[in-house]
Amino acid sequence: MSHTDPEILALRALGETAGSAGDAEHAGTCPRCRAELARLTEVVRLARDKGAGERLETPPSQVWDRIAATAGADPVRVPVSPAAAAANGTSAPAVPRIRPRRGLRPGRPRRRLATGLAGLAAGLIIGIAGTAGIVQLTQAPATRVVAQIALSPLPQFPQWQDAAGTAVMRATARQQLMVVTLHAPRQPGFYEVWLLARDGVSMISLGDLNAGHTGTFVIPPGTDLHNYSRIDISLQPFDGSTQHSKSSVVRGSLPAAALGSGTASPH
Amino acid sequence: MDQSPDEDVAAAFSGGQPDALALVYERFGPLVYSIALRSLGVRSDAEDVTQQAFVSAWRSRDTFDRRRGTLGGWLVTITRNKVADALRERQRDGRVLLHVAGGVAVAAPQTPSDRVVDKIVLADELARLPESQRLVMVLAFYSDLTHKKIAHVLGLPLGTVKSHIRRGLQRLRSRLEADGVAH
Repeated sequence: MSHTDPEILALRALGETAGSAGDAEHAGTCPRCRAELARLTEVVRLARDKGAGERLETPPSQVWDRIAATAGADPVRVPVSPAAAAANGTSAPAVPRIRPRRGLRPGRPRRRLATGLAGLAAGLIIGIAGTAGIVQLTQAPATRVVAQIALSPLPQFPQWQDAAGTAVMRATARQQLMVVTLHAPRQPGFYEVWLLARDGVSMISLGDLNAGHTGTFVIPPGTDLHNYSRIDISLQPFDGSTQHSKSSVVRGSLPAAALGSGTASPH
Repeated sequence: MDQSPDEDVAAAFSGGQPDALALVYERFGPLVYSIALRSLGVRSDAEDVTQQAFVSAWRSRDTFDRRRGTLGGWLVTITRNKVADALRERQRDGRVLLHVAGGVAVAAPQTPSDRVVDKIVLADELARLPESQRLVMVLAFYSDLTHKKIAHVLGLPLGTVKSHIRRGLQRLRSRLEADGVAH
């Protein structure tokens, strides 16, 4: 006897009574068909399992910003060699990726990401509500990189010699964001991010870094960045004080490009 | 043909092309993030693990061998390791917190179960099916409709629905065998 029709096996895996009595008998006795049915049934069981895990979630946009900022700091700017391009089936001159770099490294992948999302199922969330499958598309808001700022330790704080950080300033149509990453040892207390004024006294607290020493902060609208032009990260003790601890871990200055953007504009 | 977009991404990645990390993130970001989120339960922790997993994958991309497995499976393994690290760290912090707080109960960390990982891999592949096939599979899995009723509801020929179901199930099974953990 021939093997059970694969379409009938698939329907039986879904719990339908498809095919003839002969099909059912064969699928129960033939080792090959029985194994195939078991494989497909397991997929169905996994799909219908009501526990956690059935929904796919898109990470928030700052995750990519942090990855790009961290990985972009690596010496990984490997241009595609003609040999590698040939191996990929494209001739070297046709590879558009080796053009001179305009702007900052994280900018290009970000734009790719925004445009790529429309064509990909990356943002698809499949929910289960009653008998209907709900399909929802989420798209990250368009942001552009305004500045990427290296944060370095200060000579007067030798204990932070090995610390380093990055601040990526991004603008959306409505607001400006600062994505901050710090590489410093774990210490008692917490790390806080500040904007320092030119007088060296006034400052604005942007917020605290999380346990992974990263954070995304909204720059308060209307902040005069000509005046509050430096970024500072402090180590704060758990003493309840809202003041800067005077222990600066790293610091950096906003470049001119970032100062002019009092109101953010898209692309 | 089904697997070719993923293979293109894997080729760009192991070739170290500058845009490859962005491509890999576009393709696998939701998979990695969802596994981290389901395993850790806290969004900020899942974001940290997602960041760590992609940065680590990028830095060690020389060790990825396309002949030995899929890029998705490799990323799933890295993600599970990072989740395990995060759970260990949480346990350590929890112990410290417990000590400081004088014995306040701290929730026991959960290990990322193989089943959770497999379910997210399955959801990821389901999301990548062509529109009409995905709709057929979603109805077949989650509604009480038979394939005949699905054909009627969607206005598709019966043969098309049956073929979508057979190919869909087999594609999901292949993806699970390639990238999942509990075979």
